[in-house]
Amino acid sequence: MSASPPVIVVDNVTKLYGRVAAVRGVSLEVRSGEVLGLLGPNGSGKTTLLRMLTGYLSPSAGRLTVAGHDTVRDALAARRRIGYVPESVPLYSHMRVGEFLAFMARLRGMPRGAEPGAIARVAERLSLAEVMAAPIRTLSRGYRQRVALAQALVHEPDVVILDEPTNGLDPRQIIETRKLIQALAGERTVLISSHILGEIEKVAHRVAILLRGELLAVRAVAETPDLEALFLSLT
Amino acid sequence: MRALGVLFRKELHATFTSPIAYAIGGVFLLVLGYTFSLTLFFTKVANLTYIFHQTYVLLVLLVPVLTMRVFAEERRSDTLELLLTAPVAEVWVVLSKFLASLALVTAMLVASGAYAVVLGLYGQPDWAPIYGGYLALLLLACLLVAVGTLTSALTENQVVAAAASLGTFLMLWFADSVAYLAPAPLDLFFINLSLIGHFTTFVRGSLFLSDAGYYVTLSLLALFLTTRALADR
Repeated sequence: MSASPPVIVVDNVTKLYGRVAAVRGVSLEVRSGEVLGLLGPNGSGKTTLLRMLTGYLSPSAGRLTVAGHDTVRDALAARRRIGYVPESVPLYSHMRVGEFLAFMARLRGMPRGAEPGAIARVAERLSLAEVMAAPIRTLSRGYRQRVALAQALVHEPDVVILDEPTNGLDPRQIIETRKLIQALAGERTVLISSHILGEIEKVAHRVAILLRGELLAVRAVAETPDLEALFLSLT
Repeated sequence: MRALGVLFRKELHATFTSPIAYAIGGVFLLVLGYTFSLTLFFTKVANLTYIFHQTYVLLVLLVPVLTMRVFAEERRSDTLELLLTAPVAEVWVVLSKFLASLALVTAMLVASGAYAVVLGLYGQPDWAPIYGGYLALLLLACLLVAVGTLTSALTENQVVAAAASLGTFLMLWFADSVAYLAPAPLDLFFINLSLIGHFTTFVRGSLFLSDAGYYVTLSLLALFLTTRALADR
């Protein structure tokens, strides 16, 4: 894993809201095919860091690159390489599932000819075939989460960013989401945030612990037998 | 440009499937139809000057309701995050919403063209003021929709967006009144800022580039500010 080049580089990044630092001097790298878990309590800066990587927020200081593209100066090229599921799972409720996935694929610049195949593949992977014609507003929370994951994967991005992907899901849906993330490992670079230690431990190769906007530690999960003790000692 | 087409189709679908669009269109045509019939019945004169001024007032009142949701709704439902993390420049997002709202207002204006057809069939109207009037209404619609889009981008509350749009329209409408209080040469600035001042010349059948320039410049300024508001994150 360590031989592969870094796909995500966060270099001494700070984000200020007025005088308050949501993220302070964070530096980390995520390598190709790696799953990195961002762990920290609510308000630790996880979502702000992810939003800066997606280009939704600009850093106050420092630099972020995705697949070699600066997320501010070369924002569109960086965004083309990213699939993103925000914490709130935003979807256009008035659209049908298939229509929404086609819209997102087109928006991300997927060639018209490649679109139906890509949608069919992602629908099969996330077991969405039976609801493709259903309006999104009629779907359960679990299906909505799957649709959100599908829109993040439909354009086959190098980097997948998931902000609290298991929030509000029932145990079966959590297991399904976990399996999907595990299946993505190796084929995509995945950055996942959570405040649930057990979830991160099961899917991530490495874990980065954030507290009050500062990066406290980055550890390989396999080399940290008692992650819980480490987390408690740091936070 | 492809992204603009993709976004425009989505916005057009959202606009024309919204009950608000049909409510606004219905009220617009009902009030205009009533006014047109009444004016024609009483004056027996084949012109639309009165109708154009009525349309002006209706657009000032109805466009805030039409545009209040364009960005405010995306902010409320968090879908703006989806749009702004897609590889699409902010300007395309703004233009797609502006063009979709403008398409609805244009459709309403086209439907009101039936009154001009009626005049043409049963009378001999002077067509120059009618063409000028419709051009003025289209330019006015551009400006109102652009300002409405801007206020919607500044808040996630639709009512606040509508109130801010209406307030801005009314201040622009009555800007020339301030000229009486302002010293020269500031008075000229307020006179030239007036929404109605530039509108009336068109309706009289006189076309001045400066009047068209006023609407185009302010529309572009509002769209530029909307793009900046979105980009400033």
